[in-house]
Amino acid sequence: MKTSRVFRGLLQDSSFPSFLMLVLLVIVNAILQPGFFSFQVFRMNFMTFTPLVLVSLAQATVILVGAVDLSLGAGISLVSVVMASLMKDSPLSIISVVLLGVALALFLSFFNGFFFGTIGPPPLIMTFATSTMWFGIALLILPTPGGHISEAYYSIYSRTLAGFLPVPVLVLLVALVFCVGIGRTRAFRHLYAVGGNEKAARASGINVTATKVFAFLVSGVFTAMAALCLVGQTATGDARSGQGFTLNSVAAAVIGGIAFSGGKGNYVGAIIGGIILGLLINIIYFANITSFYQEFMKGVIIIVALLFGAVPRLRRELLRRPEEGRS
Amino acid sequence: MTVLEAKHIRKFFVGVRALNNANFLLGEGEVCGLVGANGSGKTTFARIVSGLLTPDGGELKLYEKPVNLRSHLDAERARMAMVHQNLSLVPEMTIWENITLGREARGRLAMLNNRAAVEQAQKAMEAIGARIPVHERVKNISPDEKQLVEIGKALAKDPRILILDEPTASLDFHQVESLFRAVLTLKDRGVAIIFISHRLWEVARICDRLVAFRNGETVGELDFAVQPRDEKLIIPLITGQEARDIVRKRSGVREQEISRHAGGGPALEMRHVSLPGRLADISFQLRRGEVLGLGGLQGQGQEEILMILAGYLRGYTGEILVGGRPHALRNTRQAIRRGIALIPGDRQKEGLFLEHSVLSNLLYPKVSMHRGSFFLPRGRYQKLASDAIDSVSLVPPDPRLVVSQLSGGNQQKVVVGKWLALSPDILLLNDPTKGVDVGTRQNLYAIISALAEKGTSVLLYASDNEELVSNCDRVLIVFEGRIVKEMSAEEISEEKLVVSSLNVEHTS
Repeated sequence: MKTSRVFRGLLQDSSFPSFLMLVLLVIVNAILQPGFFSFQVFRMNFMTFTPLVLVSLAQATVILVGAVDLSLGAGISLVSVVMASLMKDSPLSIISVVLLGVALALFLSFFNGFFFGTIGPPPLIMTFATSTMWFGIALLILPTPGGHISEAYYSIYSRTLAGFLPVPVLVLLVALVFCVGIGRTRAFRHLYAVGGNEKAARASGINVTATKVFAFLVSGVFTAMAALCLVGQTATGDARSGQGFTLNSVAAAVIGGIAFSGGKGNYVGAIIGGIILGLLINIIYFANITSFYQEFMKGVIIIVALLFGAVPRLRRELLRRPEEGRS
Repeated sequence: MTVLEAKHIRKFFVGVRALNNANFLLGEGEVCGLVGANGSGKTTFARIVSGLLTPDGGELKLYEKPVNLRSHLDAERARMAMVHQNLSLVPEMTIWENITLGREARGRLAMLNNRAAVEQAQKAMEAIGARIPVHERVKNISPDEKQLVEIGKALAKDPRILILDEPTASLDFHQVESLFRAVLTLKDRGVAIIFISHRLWEVARICDRLVAFRNGETVGELDFAVQPRDEKLIIPLITGQEARDIVRKRSGVREQEISRHAGGGPALEMRHVSLPGRLADISFQLRRGEVLGLGGLQGQGQEEILMILAGYLRGYTGEILVGGRPHALRNTRQAIRRGIALIPGDRQKEGLFLEHSVLSNLLYPKVSMHRGSFFLPRGRYQKLASDAIDSVSLVPPDPRLVVSQLSGGNQQKVVVGKWLALSPDILLLNDPTKGVDVGTRQNLYAIISALAEKGTSVLLYASDNEELVSNCDRVLIVFEGRIVKEMSAEEISEEKLVVSSLNVEHTS
């Protein structure tokens, strides 16, 4: 009986439709991309997937608490710019710059979370404002892409450990362990409660402000990891390098079954959503679509992915019960 | 020992005086009723006592010591728990997650101990005799089950003071009985309980004492140790007037009235309507000008019947005739066009735009059905709205107020009022007086019977049997999706309703 509950739970999980979509895309990708299942291609793919998945996790966290963070991309750019402008080749310099980058990413998220939690402006507009702030600062520091990233740092990212474990995959595994751990804390449960029904959360004695700040801080951890990976991948500082991540991460989270209204969905969905977007970029590239159509095709496929997610809901609405019909 | 003492509590909201001079005493192991009309300040008082609101003045003592409750957490530390009227559950979470929310059991490394939490939740639900699997998500359970979860959540806090704010509004009498058993067990353990309810018979039965509020002031008290448990003594405290007996029109008179409208056949007819798993072979006729009741236990299919007629539920088989002609009611718009209006019971969810003004709430149905001129006739609509406010006697009668500022009962009046503007032929009422006080309730049914006299047909589902008895010309008893009995006017009585609701008549 317990196993059937688990099985039923899997089928009803909010990320299940996106999982089906993922399987489909993997098949398409395998057909189009030569040697898709070879280790080299696998490694290369994950070098680009990992930052996207990490940003999706960051975005998913704030969406779950009922907010959204449009400053994620600009924040990542700012971190990359700061790192590139300060880094020297000495090991001490590398380590301190990396720590500084992490601290900066956490601070940027905390800044958003603190204002959202205490004053409570609409997060969409507030993080839009901070995103232009971050972008402005990044431009001041480094008007054109460049700076210096030590080879000792960026070569790590393309390395393979023990002959079978590429570093990007290792980073994802670390993120996964972090997800599992954080998911079992009390604060994380409260995060769902606040996102699901803020009034109810307050009436249950939950500190809503602290929970919101917590969500942004967790998001900051993922953002920091994403920034470190991106710098490792591009080996440069660029005030525009993170731009694409912002809305891609929102799309990834929603494709992964995370409700934009908050309180519903899980990290598995965010990971799947991130990988789906990564595969998508791959497919469009390898399908030899002229560059004029690439963006268009990407949009079309995202809409298809969203339709996938809507299927269970549409089915339910056709056979709805009165209690559900009212909501 | 006195566990709670409130003196001269005052609370103002923007432009509204919610509490002026509220006094309250509660002793250990005592069940004290709190009654009063809608907007008399009961819920405000409960929210102050449980730390959700801070009072603007007055004195509050807990366990004989003055306290200043700054938040809900303070109240919880003082071992106070409240069962909220507007449910405080997170729909996407499971029952056990909700019950333990805010007080999650923790194990190693500050990680959640889910097994302990599930056990805790199961124990709490068993204590009130509720059999609902705790792994179900709250969004998937029915309103009465949600109410039980809410009660279980309060009990899981192991409180010394428990506030029940209209805990029975969505429960049927079986569930009320098991709730009462739980209340008595708690009382024996020394828990002090404040019981807020509009159902006076419940208050008279379960409480040791009662306090009445009127317009934000404590106006009276009854001690059942020395006074009889009689509802008639309570009503004047609430309304400030002598109790009047609700007089049923003699059934002969009603029959005459109904037959006056008989031309043109029945207003509505259902023929062999079934809905897989919910309704089986429902057939009945609703005559013009008739008030037809749907009785029975909670959730036997009464709501489904109303929902089909209102165009919410699709996928039924069978035939529905409106005004003698068959109609497929595919969506709510079609239903409204045919003159069918549904007054829902859950005002917060489906009846109102809480953040909009009374005026716009009253006018939405009218506006959505507007045809003709491009611009809306504002002056006429304002007139319509103020007529509606008059006919439901809204307090305060100000169309500019935002609905969320009104008390629960007055919100319900807005829900009713907005359909009156459309002058529907068929009125579907889904437990319309849930959480509505005695005075307003009488008012509401006066409006309904006036409409019925003019030829409007009414299909009424009420969880309170008394309402069916005093208002219906005929009652259909629904049991497990079937109509098991029809009662004519002469037969209707509360006792008979209860017996046939259980569908045990043929065996006993």
